[in-house]
Amino acid sequence: MKTMKISIALAALIASGVAVAGDSPAPTNAYLYIGWPNDGEVIRAESFRVWFGLRKMGVAPAGVEKSMTGHHHLLVDAPLPPMDEEIPASKNYVHFGKGQTETRLSLPPGKHTLQLLMGDYNHVPHNPPVMSRKITITVK
Amino acid sequence: MKRSILVATMLTALIPGLAVAGDTPAPAGAKVYFIWPKDGQTIKGGKFWARFGLREMGVAPAGVEKRFTGHHHLIIDADLPPFDEEIPASKNHVHYGKGYSEARVELPPGKHTLQLLFADHNHIPHNPPVYSEKITVYVPAD
Ligand SMILES: [Cu+2]
Ligand SMILES: [Cu+2]
Repeated sequence: MKTMKISIALAALIASGVAVAGDSPAPTNAYLYIGWPNDGEVIRAESFRVWFGLRKMGVAPAGVEKSMTGHHHLLVDAPLPPMDEEIPASKNYVHFGKGQTETRLSLPPGKHTLQLLMGDYNHVPHNPPVMSRKITITVK
Repeated sequence: MKRSILVATMLTALIPGLAVAGDTPAPAGAKVYFIWPKDGQTIKGGKFWARFGLREMGVAPAGVEKRFTGHHHLIIDADLPPFDEEIPASKNHVHYGKGYSEARVELPPGKHTLQLLFADHNHIPHNPPVYSEKITVYVPAD
C-alpha cells in the first residue's frame, strides 16, 4: 500500500515534468547550434547567412511525421516560447518548414540575439526540447 | 499526334542531356556545397563532422515526397553516378536518408575526394542534378 502511494506520487512527478515538452521524442544527444555567425560576431553587411548546425537528428519539412526529425526555427530578439505548444510564427519566430538548413537574414543596426529551436511536424518542440545556445551579434 | 511523338523522340535522341536526370525538379539556383571541410584541407586523425550546405532547397527524409526537397549523399573517393538512376549505396556512396545535414566521417590516411549529391525521395538525382564541387582532403599518416 505504502509502495503504491509512493509510485503514484512518483508518476505524478514524472508526468508534471513531461508536460513542459511536446510529445515527439528527440534523441537525448541531439545537438543544435548556430554554425555562423559566432557569438559576439560584428557584422558589417546589409544581410548575412545563418547556418543551422544539427547533429544526431534529421530535418523534415513541416507536416511530415518521421521519428527523430523536425524543422528549424530561428528566434530573433526573442525569448524561448513555451515548450509544450506550437511555436508562434512572427518576424521574431521564423519557421523553416520547407526543410531549409540555412537562411539569409537582414537586421537593423544594433545588438541582436539569435537562437535555434527545433519543432516537430506540428511546430511543437520535442521531448526533450532541442535548442541552441542563444548568441548575441552586433550589426553595424 | 503521331507526328509530335516522333518529334519528341527525335528531340530526345538529339539532346541526350535531357534524359540524363531524374524526374523530380530542382529550382533554379539550388546549390549543395561543403561548409566543412574545405578543398585542400588536412584532417589530422581522419575523423570529422562533414557539414553539408544547401541553398534554395530543403531537406526531407528518404521516402518523403515534397517539392524542392531531397536528402544528402556523400560520395567518397568515387565519381558521380548516373543521374537518371538510384544512387548506389556503398561505402563510397553514403545516403543520409534520415535527413541529416552533417555526418561523422572517418577516413584512413591518404588523399581522398569528397563530393555531395542531392537526390529525391527515391534516391534519384533531381533535374537539373544538384551536386557540389569535388573536393580533395588529406589525412596525414600519423
Ligand atoms: Cu514550425
Ligand atoms: Cu538516398
